[in-house]
Amino acid sequence: MDFPRATLTALSAVLLAAPLTAAVAADISAKAELSRAQVSSGEMAELQVRVSGAQDADVPREVPVDGLQIRLTGQSTQVQMVNFKVTSSVVYSYVVMPLRTGNFTIPPVSIRADGRQISTAPLGFSVLPAASAVQQQTSGIPQTPRGMAGPLQRQQRVAVRPPDAGRLAFGEIECPKKTIYAGEMVPVEIRFYFDARYPVQVRGKVDFGSEGVLAERFPDPKESREERDGTTWNVLTFRSLLSAVKPGTVEVAPAKLDSQMQMPGALPPGFDDPVFQQLMGGQSPFSQSRDIAVKTAPLRLEVLPLPKEGRPSSFTGAVGQFDMDAIVPNPRPAAGDPANLVVKIGGKGNFRAMGAPVLTGSDGWRSYPPTDRFEGSDPLSYAGVKSFDFTLIAREPSEVSPGVEFSFFDPVAAKYVTLKSKPLPLQASPGGAAGGSSPAGAPSPAGSQPAAPSPEAFKEGDPLPRLTFRSWSIPVRRPEFLVATGAMAVASLTLAAILALRRLRAGGGTEASRRRRRIAELRSLLSSDTLDAAGCYQAAVEYADLTVSDPAARERLLPALAERRDALKFGAGGSVSLTREERDDLLAKLSVPVSRSRP
Amino acid sequence: MKRKHAPRPGLLLLLFTLWCSAVILHAGVPEQAASANASLVSGHPNEALSQYIGILGTRAFSTAGSPELWYNRGLAERGGGDDLAASVSFRRALLLDPALVPARSALSASLTKLGVPVPSSWKDRLAGRLSPEFLVLAGSLAGWIGLLALIWFLFSAPRRAKRIAAALLLVLAGHGAALLGTWIDPRRTARDQAVVTEKGSPPLRSTPADNGTALGTLVPGGVVTVISRNGAWWYVSAGPGHSGWISAAAVTPLLPAGL
Repeated sequence: MDFPRATLTALSAVLLAAPLTAAVAADISAKAELSRAQVSSGEMAELQVRVSGAQDADVPREVPVDGLQIRLTGQSTQVQMVNFKVTSSVVYSYVVMPLRTGNFTIPPVSIRADGRQISTAPLGFSVLPAASAVQQQTSGIPQTPRGMAGPLQRQQRVAVRPPDAGRLAFGEIECPKKTIYAGEMVPVEIRFYFDARYPVQVRGKVDFGSEGVLAERFPDPKESREERDGTTWNVLTFRSLLSAVKPGTVEVAPAKLDSQMQMPGALPPGFDDPVFQQLMGGQSPFSQSRDIAVKTAPLRLEVLPLPKEGRPSSFTGAVGQFDMDAIVPNPRPAAGDPANLVVKIGGKGNFRAMGAPVLTGSDGWRSYPPTDRFEGSDPLSYAGVKSFDFTLIAREPSEVSPGVEFSFFDPVAAKYVTLKSKPLPLQASPGGAAGGSSPAGAPSPAGSQPAAPSPEAFKEGDPLPRLTFRSWSIPVRRPEFLVATGAMAVASLTLAAILALRRLRAGGGTEASRRRRRIAELRSLLSSDTLDAAGCYQAAVEYADLTVSDPAARERLLPALAERRDALKFGAGGSVSLTREERDDLLAKLSVPVSRSRP
Repeated sequence: MKRKHAPRPGLLLLLFTLWCSAVILHAGVPEQAASANASLVSGHPNEALSQYIGILGTRAFSTAGSPELWYNRGLAERGGGDDLAASVSFRRALLLDPALVPARSALSASLTKLGVPVPSSWKDRLAGRLSPEFLVLAGSLAGWIGLLALIWFLFSAPRRAKRIAAALLLVLAGHGAALLGTWIDPRRTARDQAVVTEKGSPPLRSTPADNGTALGTLVPGGVVTVISRNGAWWYVSAGPGHSGWISAAAVTPLLPAGL
């Protein structure tokens, strides 16, 4: 039975779309989990918010709790298909950094997914004094002596045993550090080797991660080929970043990649002839698929807590190696205009979890929460520059901008580093009407304002003095817009009609009108005495051709008229007028009324 | 000698009448707003708030709004400790002007404080960069000019394919931009939206009654879509499969009352 190709395509599309539709229609739920319900001061915990039934959701970047700093650090998406049922979930990871000891309640986290508002259950969280847990966390971990380079730098390379002769695939994981600090990001490389002799199809994504460990989303892998132990391997290399929030020993589960290999199958009877195999180039045309889950070895990491001693007040969770630069793009804004202070933090580290730098000496300024933008210099966003753009409004005349302070933990030097930027030249003054604490209309401080006030001089960023008026309706619902649209439509139609008429007139009108006009002309000629005999029959032939539609009548009339016309035209008597009898007879045949003016 | 066309007196009169109406309607508003701003800056948010409410209740704002005034009112409400009301005012300011950066920052700060996710759809981001109003007006104008040109080129002889293609492109691009502007304009759907302003997570009920089964709760500061209104109870949706009845007193329409 043959199905049309379009039918098969549509059927396939429906079958493929069905699981996706099921995923979309699935119930959405959210669950929050803490990696630990109790930590010591100086330690951090991880809060995971798992949204099931959705592939993306809006979540708050921070969860406000007095005494805790809970900041969003990343997300990962999981899609599973089991028996044609697709389930998807997205996990949002937050770092929970205690600011003081005590018992806390993490409030419900409100999430918006697929246009739906849901929230998690509240969670209890305790922060204990440091002493007990520091001993617990550091036991068995070699501490770095002061003055030496931080945690161990030797490369940790864990691999599954080299492949046996019959081995088809294996995985390796490489992490440059064995001991890391909580919140520190380290690059990790995962390689999957496949025997190059057999075609392989990768199914799904890399499954990697464990409780207390955050792995960034894996970008597209790099493909290469490698010779090892006399075997050629196709290699898929995945690179990502790993960070841990839970101090202690962390056993990261093996990275896994599902794949399917095409293996040569047994030859059926009759095809196991060596000659046949030689003809096929040594390859068997009968192959069978084999599902293979390629795994690396587990990864063992020692995670050290960030030291509590010497933690600066401006520390907001940045771990890495950074430098700072601050600029004021417009050092002379108009009076009352906002100024901008751009702080650029460059280097390597956990840019996602990094909080904004702290402004110092900002008493004379009103500032807004900065907007931030990150420009990565590598695909993993491990290195790059994060810019924080502070909007500043002068409360009082000022010559310099606020200073900036940014603290981070340097895992190599194993200590906190504070970068400070001196105030930059910035001549700003408040607006005249509402500047500082002056009442409206009060004169500005001497020398702080230009002599001639412009509308800009009365503008201040907070509150906004210049008013604009806008409609609450969208343009297409406003009467003036509808009237204008109608007018344009009428104008277009009118233009089209005028141009069409002009063209029609230039071309002599339509075919029917031209035909009607010609018939009227011929009738007039035939009714008059102006034509000679030959001309009269010529007009009669044309008139009959235009007016007689009955085939039988045409067959009877037209040849006779044409014969008489030719006789008159090429014989004698063509130039004289027709006799009255012949003329009347001709007009009767053509059903043309006889002219009454004729004598 | 070239004859100069004098402006028609009727048109001048119409323009003058419109100008006079606008001046009369908005008379005194800037002065009142400056006074309210001064109260706010001098640390009297409640006094400033009552002034802003008075200004926004005048006839000048019966059909129009001022994003700056709504933003300032939000600041006064926030200064008075009412972040919920402030979030509504900031949302209204952004409805009128999606590119008002201070309002976006202030809304983000208020929602963060309330623990509500900050809305960040692609439509909001695009509307913040490209004014929907400008897209619609400029796009429509370009589209209609393109249509007139297309008609002209279609009927002119000889036909030039390149000119016709350019005019067709202008028609499509212009009206496409207008359509996009309409689509991303937050005011398009604002009439059916409301903000949850009752503190303490009001419940969604299965029936419009206080004893109706609670289907879930709504987050204060979040936005819901109003599907129907039945007196003091509104049937709202907080997303697919999450609909129910809520007391009208628990929500505030996104558009100000009377519109």
